[in-house]
Amino acid sequence: MLRIIAPSFYWQQETPERMKQIEIQTWDIFCRVIDNYGDIGVCWRLARQLANEYPFQVRLWVDELTALTQIWPSARVCEHQQLENVDVRIWYHDFDPAIQPADVVIEAFACNLPDSYLAAMKQRATPPHWFNLEYLSAEDWVEGCHGLASPHPQLGLKKIFFFPGVTAKTGGLLKERDLLDKGEAFSQDSDAREQFLEKLGVETKSGELIISLFGYENEAVGSLIDAWSQSSTPVLCLVPASKILPSINSAMGQNLKVGDTFNKGALRLQVIPFISQTDYDILLWACDFNFIRGEDSFVRAQWAAKPFVWHIYPQDEDFHMVKLDAFLKHYLDGFDPITQDAIIRLWHHWNRNQDCLDAWNTCLTNLQNWQKHGQKWRQHLNSLGDLASNMVHFCQKTL
Amino acid sequence: MKTGQELRAGHVISIDGQPWLIQKAEISRSGRNTAVVKTKLKNLLNGYLTETPYKADDKFEDIVLDRKDVTYSYYADPMYVFVDSDYEQYELTADELGDMGPYIEDGIDDVCEAVFFDGKVISITPPNSVTREVVYTEPSVRGDTSGKVMKPARLTNGTEIQVSAFVEIGDKIIIDTRTHEYKSRAKD
Repeated sequence: MLRIIAPSFYWQQETPERMKQIEIQTWDIFCRVIDNYGDIGVCWRLARQLANEYPFQVRLWVDELTALTQIWPSARVCEHQQLENVDVRIWYHDFDPAIQPADVVIEAFACNLPDSYLAAMKQRATPPHWFNLEYLSAEDWVEGCHGLASPHPQLGLKKIFFFPGVTAKTGGLLKERDLLDKGEAFSQDSDAREQFLEKLGVETKSGELIISLFGYENEAVGSLIDAWSQSSTPVLCLVPASKILPSINSAMGQNLKVGDTFNKGALRLQVIPFISQTDYDILLWACDFNFIRGEDSFVRAQWAAKPFVWHIYPQDEDFHMVKLDAFLKHYLDGFDPITQDAIIRLWHHWNRNQDCLDAWNTCLTNLQNWQKHGQKWRQHLNSLGDLASNMVHFCQKTL
Repeated sequence: MKTGQELRAGHVISIDGQPWLIQKAEISRSGRNTAVVKTKLKNLLNGYLTETPYKADDKFEDIVLDRKDVTYSYYADPMYVFVDSDYEQYELTADELGDMGPYIEDGIDDVCEAVFFDGKVISITPPNSVTREVVYTEPSVRGDTSGKVMKPARLTNGTEIQVSAFVEIGDKIIIDTRTHEYKSRAKD
């Protein structure tokens, strides 16, 4: 049990009654699945970490559990299940008004809590710590909003805007306590890679550059296939079944399914199953280069510290490119200008559905530098602490 | 009702039953086409200033405040009494005088704007400029008439202000009440 002394809060003066010791035991995380696996991926990872690394009881409310069953195969679509020490519940539109709020409430990605739950929060003798967990962004404005209180216009309940981020003035990134040790152990075990890939039905060959390719629909994949098939280094491309597969099939005039392999010049491309969060981490460690997408896999690729290209979630008016560049500004700090330029071109072309061939070939000649830089970047991220711990510390500091 | 993304500087909204003036509102795009609105707010009841983020779809009750022209009438310790054109009187504490505080003195006829919330005056806004008499300042240094050199001067009510070096005791000066800076000497 975590015992917390509540200090004064900067929105308004604390009353003596509220300046008492409070205890944090229970957490509620609310998650709406908009599309894909980013929302549930982040929420499920956070829930598991809080439940397994702290003495907390964690409930995860999800409106669409099918997405969870994809990234965590032992999950089922049912009203109530205990999974990895997390109490997973379906979040029905008609929310049960008898549900009592937890000590800490996380509203993931501005998903809007049920009215009855908000009313119950207001009724509590000590209002819960309430976080709006925002999307990850490296833009400058995030630092100016992270940690600020936002009183509910009608109820007065205070909600903290909590931003994941890559700088010290943000909440950091999600990372389990043992993640880096596990990754290190994997890299030290000479057989681990082959054993893992064998489990996925993948046979490796000596000297191959192994690439994972996870992304949204993208016409630029044809130019990458050209680059890899013409490469002087043999390339093994592993494609978890996802939205990019139709783009690959279209570019190659194929109809590949899970388990199928396609050879073209130096390229051997294999479609592997959509894998769990745990296995996806190992895939990132096992590959020499990762194409990733969205938010959760973007974070995991940074912890894997391998060279990677981010397919960012597309927004109206190409606004995602602003976010992409904001991240690149931080990520590429310290790189030599030539490699910087090549990486920027590759990321831009990939995200704009443009020809990636030249940019890829330039990046390939600088792969070793990129690998070293990835490890430095991981050290930097690690120095920020992890998001779940930073959230717990925030609760300890404020009420 | 207004949504978060409709908030603009100058709007007054209700938060937890209190009136807050929006001094600044900046919209930033978040993920998946959502947005965060960072506001600078001033509580119109107690003057408290804060920075607060809101979601673009948060809903606020907007407040239309009553406003009336008033002039300062007299001091009835500890209240400052203002009067409107109907001779209705309004009492304010020193704290509630805001920017008018440094310029209050007997006999002034500046037309100020009183702002009301729930039937009570919550603030007084002075005109953008007021004219006041200098009752004390050091003599100017001979030869310096550029107007760029400043020196302290004391007004009738004791307020001190920086004025141009050529201003003398007995001069009437024009002061910008928004910046509390000397603007010029008043013409007789």
